[in-house]
Amino acid sequence: MASESSDEGGNGYEPKILVFACNWCSYAGADLAGVSRLQMPANCRIIRVMCSGRVRPEFVVTALSKGLDGVLVLGCHPGECHYSEGNYFTRRRGLLLKNLLQFVGIEPERFQVRWVSASEGAKFADTVEQVTEQIRALGPNRPQGGMHSTEPGDR
Amino acid sequence: MEDKLQELVVELLGDGAMEYFIGYRQGFEPSHVVPCFVTDKSEADRLIWGPLCLQNLSKYVLQARDLDGKVGLLVKGCDARAIVELVKQHQIERDKIVVVGVPCEGQVDPRKMEQVLGVSMEQVTDVEDAGDEFLVKVGGEVSKLGKEQVLRDKCFYCKHPTSFDYDYTLGEVQPFTIDSESEEYDAVEKLEELPLEERRAYWLKQFERCIRCNACREVCYGCYCKECIFDRTDPRWLDRTPLPRENEIYHLIRAVHLAGRCIDCGECERVCPVNIPLGRLYKKLQKDIAELFDYEAGMEYDTVPPLVDFELDDQDPFL
Repeated sequence: MASESSDEGGNGYEPKILVFACNWCSYAGADLAGVSRLQMPANCRIIRVMCSGRVRPEFVVTALSKGLDGVLVLGCHPGECHYSEGNYFTRRRGLLLKNLLQFVGIEPERFQVRWVSASEGAKFADTVEQVTEQIRALGPNRPQGGMHSTEPGDR
Repeated sequence: MEDKLQELVVELLGDGAMEYFIGYRQGFEPSHVVPCFVTDKSEADRLIWGPLCLQNLSKYVLQARDLDGKVGLLVKGCDARAIVELVKQHQIERDKIVVVGVPCEGQVDPRKMEQVLGVSMEQVTDVEDAGDEFLVKVGGEVSKLGKEQVLRDKCFYCKHPTSFDYDYTLGEVQPFTIDSESEEYDAVEKLEELPLEERRAYWLKQFERCIRCNACREVCYGCYCKECIFDRTDPRWLDRTPLPRENEIYHLIRAVHLAGRCIDCGECERVCPVNIPLGRLYKKLQKDIAELFDYEAGMEYDTVPPLVDFELDDQDPFL
């Protein structure tokens, strides 16, 4: 994975964060944040999913193991899911996955779940900023080397 | 008990009550027990039972899906939970299988026994259950080993020595006492107490050894998917070559796939050629599921598995 370079923070490290945003709430929230011209860090790569319940734990595990610095799952507030109950499943799954990742030694900040509704453009911007700062403070996920090296030609 | 088992199997096969019976028989070495498929009455005398009958035979009943008749099998209390789960997960119908329950009084962990005895299992000619200890025969000499020395980990906190869903049973379980204070989640809690970096180092070291032989998957009762996610070519989750740096993905995905379904039969750990303590990984999920959602896999037919269910007032740490 090519590393981003920027002089911000002095060390040139910019975290790379994967965001799964639900189509009905959080993606619209992100849209609102953009339309409202809110300032936020540009470290997120958003993948739109139809529901936060679509995010299988494999997505998160694979992303983190392959070297992304953080994964953020955004869904509708509980009780407001477009499909009535999708995010309730996300909630249970997220809880277990977070514990499991922590159990194998991955910092809990690297996997986060948040509820952002379509009207909460400001919350989206805040969340992204918060999470980015937390992960920036942690530093790169898996420093290069050892079994997790991502040298060219590895893949 | 073996006589009783053999008689029962002869009877059931004679009746036509089942097409074949899955049990254990002597392997090539005396200390090595292998699964055995008895299709004819005359073969019933090969069946054995003892503290070395380690395998969880439940996965074999999946073959009976395409069978007209029934298939019988011998289960220990812990393995019976796999049957409950398979029925629950709609992999097999309960009336397609004849479950013969065996009173199990603890199984031997061959790795522990080799360590205690200081000789390889090949030299052990017989292991007999004698209440609170095992009588072990090595080269004609019989020695007594306390059960707490050589029992499989899962046997220390066995909650289900007899399962609740037998068609036939081979007798009552004699309670045995072990001189040990180990609790079910001891190993998990010990790891949880370590600082994050040490846990990371611990698991990386474990996963590093994995040669991705897939034995843990093949032996697992819960891995019955026709096309496993790891074998898929589109999208390809793991490289075709078993790359060490993908080992972590492999094990974590397996863990999340078994969340709420793992019955802690310990087969993955037993078959692992490089001794990865996989049980601890799955046990962690089991512990969380028990604590957060008050659920234990394989106990009842009519409870809803925790990850396909929810409560409106579930814990919500996500704001």
